[in-house]
Amino acid sequence: MAPKLTVSHLSKWFGGLEALRGIDLAVERGEFIAVVGPSGCGKTTFLRIVAGLEHATAGDVLLDGCVVREPGTDRGFVFQNDSLLPWRTVLANAIIGREVAGSIGPADRNRTMELLKLVGLEGFEHYHPRQLSGGMRQRVNLARALAIDPEILLMDEPFAALDAQTREIMQAELLRIWERGHKTVLFVTHQIDEAVFLSDRVLVFARRPGRLLAEVKIALPRPRDLEIKRTAEFVALVDRIWRMIEDDVRAAALYENA
Amino acid sequence: MSATSEGVKAMSPPQSRPATAAPKHQLVGLLRRRYLAGTLSVVGGLLLWELISRFLVANALFLAAPSEIVVALYNLAATGQLWHHVGVSAAEFALGYVIASILGIALGLAMASRATTKQALQPWVSGLYATPTIALAPLFILWFGIGIWSKVIVVIALVLFPVTINTEAGLRTTSERLIEMLRSFGATPRQIFLKVSLPSAVPFILAGLKLGIGRGLIGVVVAELFGSRAGLGRLISQSADAFNMPELFAGVVVLAVAGIVMTAGFGWLEGKLVPWTRD
Repeated sequence: MAPKLTVSHLSKWFGGLEALRGIDLAVERGEFIAVVGPSGCGKTTFLRIVAGLEHATAGDVLLDGCVVREPGTDRGFVFQNDSLLPWRTVLANAIIGREVAGSIGPADRNRTMELLKLVGLEGFEHYHPRQLSGGMRQRVNLARALAIDPEILLMDEPFAALDAQTREIMQAELLRIWERGHKTVLFVTHQIDEAVFLSDRVLVFARRPGRLLAEVKIALPRPRDLEIKRTAEFVALVDRIWRMIEDDVRAAALYENA
Repeated sequence: MSATSEGVKAMSPPQSRPATAAPKHQLVGLLRRRYLAGTLSVVGGLLLWELISRFLVANALFLAAPSEIVVALYNLAATGQLWHHVGVSAAEFALGYVIASILGIALGLAMASRATTKQALQPWVSGLYATPTIALAPLFILWFGIGIWSKVIVVIALVLFPVTINTEAGLRTTSERLIEMLRSFGATPRQIFLKVSLPSAVPFILAGLKLGIGRGLIGVVVAELFGSRAGLGRLISQSADAFNMPELFAGVVVLAVAGIVMTAGFGWLEGKLVPWTRD
């Protein structure tokens, strides 16, 4: 079967700065891919190019064999900050992608209600974002991306702004939701344990220029729960990936502080 | 999965707000704490004013006591004069204010939608906003006569620019994050404008309109002082000519009340229309 998403020789320059160099990738249907790397490795830029929010300098992104150039409803983007419209209710926020695609009817509303229930927000449909906690807002963010029933889910460090406990809960919640539909997911994070916990495959990026350093298969059994983070196998995987990027992370930390 | 069920439990919808369930004496206590200082200050100030005008100044040509103002207000209302003046001023204010609001929002939209429009209009808008256009009131009276239209023009000149400037600023400062969110769904520029830019400019537009209330009231009164047949400004200048201090102050009090009530009404409207700006 042809891959869901194919990226070939993708490069990106911002003026004189080389952000991404020659990324090649094939993602199978239903695969959960995590992208990790030190800050400045271009992982978010990579995701934004796949989303069509940024244009590649060279190379191609193909989704189901079609070239991606602009944003579209075949991709659902989950933002790092929730980006909810403060004047809209939870339901009205979650449905906005379908609204952009065309007029919405009762069927769209019902489907979105179902999704809000799936992400654990039943009973909160008519609340406004300011009445919700950070974790709940990220649930709306996720439901909004799922509501357009995208071919692929693009997630840009969606749990980075949450506190450690909420983050753990959201990781487990994301897997629970993912198990229901097995959407293809591209998940960018700077947390290695999050990447290992969630994904089938971790792409390790290096910086200056941003490039694909290695791929690590995560063969941990599914469905997974948070307990798995304490197993030796899990810890070994995290450790292995950490070793790959350790020098780069240190360099990035120095560079960022300079 | 214990962590997951905990997360869901922590999110069960909140129970009814504690404020409504609180015992009555707590509510009274809250009101007392919130309004006590303000009430005392107003009552004390009025009392001081009463005492000063009765015993210290004690000259009806210079100062009227609050009690005399109340009597004057009552008499003006009873003879119907007050309603006539209030009606004329209110009509001038309302016409000018509504026209200026519509024009101001339209100008702000035009400036926000095209860079060249903004570059062309910006010097005029900034310049006229900074100019005390109230000084042009005698000119407008010369041009448009002493009827209500000269006052309407003055109100427009004073209200238009804060509304324009705020509308433009509100549209310009739309959060890039929100625009990008909508763009990720393939939204057109028109959809981005209608679903993000315009709603997020509403608090700014309301702030501009609120600013316009005080300026519009000043416009009405000052324009009437320069020349008019009726209106609160006319009442004030007539009373001043006749050294009728209680009636002069009666006119001022009505204007003050109008300003306070309209501004408070706007505060209420903001709470209803843009509650997210409150936190």
